[in-house]
Amino acid sequence: MSRDLRRDFTDRADMITYLQEQFPAVLPGPVPETPGGRKAALGALRRFEITRYGSSRNYLRGAVSRLSPYIRYGVLSLAEVRHWALAQVDDPRMVEKFIQELGWRDYWQRVYQQLGDAIWEDLAPYKTGFSPKHYAPNLPEDIPRGTTGLVCIDSFSAELHRTGYLHNHARMWLAAYVVHWRTTRWQAGALWFLEHLLDGDPASNNLSWQWVASTYSQKPYFFNRENLERYTEGVYCRKCPRYGHCPFEGSYERLSQKLFPHAEDPKKKHRKPR
Amino acid sequence: MNFTNPVVWVHGDCLSPTHPALLAYPTRPALWVWDEALLEEWQLRLKRLVFIYECLLELPVVIRRGEVAAEVIAFAQEHQADGVLTTASPSPRFQVIRSTIESTLPVTVLPVEPLVAYDGFLDLKSFSRYWRVAESYAFQASTPTPDLTQGKHPPTPPTTPGSAD
Repeated sequence: MSRDLRRDFTDRADMITYLQEQFPAVLPGPVPETPGGRKAALGALRRFEITRYGSSRNYLRGAVSRLSPYIRYGVLSLAEVRHWALAQVDDPRMVEKFIQELGWRDYWQRVYQQLGDAIWEDLAPYKTGFSPKHYAPNLPEDIPRGTTGLVCIDSFSAELHRTGYLHNHARMWLAAYVVHWRTTRWQAGALWFLEHLLDGDPASNNLSWQWVASTYSQKPYFFNRENLERYTEGVYCRKCPRYGHCPFEGSYERLSQKLFPHAEDPKKKHRKPR
Repeated sequence: MNFTNPVVWVHGDCLSPTHPALLAYPTRPALWVWDEALLEEWQLRLKRLVFIYECLLELPVVIRRGEVAAEVIAFAQEHQADGVLTTASPSPRFQVIRSTIESTLPVTVLPVEPLVAYDGFLDLKSFSRYWRVAESYAFQASTPTPDLTQGKHPPTPPTTPGSAD
């Protein structure tokens, strides 16, 4: 008969010590600031300023829900979060953007149901003008180490490792940097995220990386410094020694020509964040 | 789901006290298994283990580790169970584990209420194609609002576009 693992602990620290003893092979590291469980999930729901979500969600300090770890593990179901959202407002249009985001999660799950482990493969050719061979198979070490010298990228990397959470926009900038500026296969980045994200789910994670890479979309997602500075309210750029001459400088047209010189239509508009 | 004495297998896609099988059979034994092979394959970090463990401590589950299907079958046999109840998951690994359990015991997979309660064809070629059909269903609320304990958000029925009734 198998041995049951403990359920009674004096406090969180006691539980963490026990887990480290039980799973010595699990890589050590920081413990999450986000607590698990239904009580914590309902607390996150109470704190969520849903009426500010639509207009502020792309900003790093915007009113995002922080519900994703709870939704990923089914602590909250999409249907009950949807119902809660609709109950907060008289007009459903006020929560339209948030419900659409729930739709994205549902959509990725349905695609996963259909494709299974094929979500680890390129679902279509890159639209960047490059073949898959152009992309390196492994993540450059300076990215997870947070030593690229780019304050924004290094900060996102450190935050991912420390907290297991990243704002959606930061995920997209980081993914675009990995794939398009460092020409690394999206799979390497997706695996890195899955290791660290509390809400790491193969469907949402991999398919979003493919969306950025352009292997599951019509064009690559990329950004410029102006975009990043705007939505981060300049907190990284102001202290970055490479401000004004970083790899993200320039118009979308110029960056597109630089990043994708062989693409069929480099003047194509860039993707906007979802 | 005509089981007399089932056990409940709780997996990582439904760690809620509102788990349909836990609600349907509140007195029957329930099990969570740490999937040792998956832990190694995904190189999951301590922070994720802690988060999941905190979820598990709010559920009436026995916590074990090992090879999931073997542990579920052993648990069911310990409790003279005539079947296993669980919830749906899109994960291919879930399908493999389910099939392995089914070689020994019947398994019933209960649905969790979906965001989009629509059984017709949904075109998954792109999000916009999917959303064109799914959107009106996504705005139809039928689940009770979660009880937020302080009663700040009573479950008032919202006005939904496209609601037939």
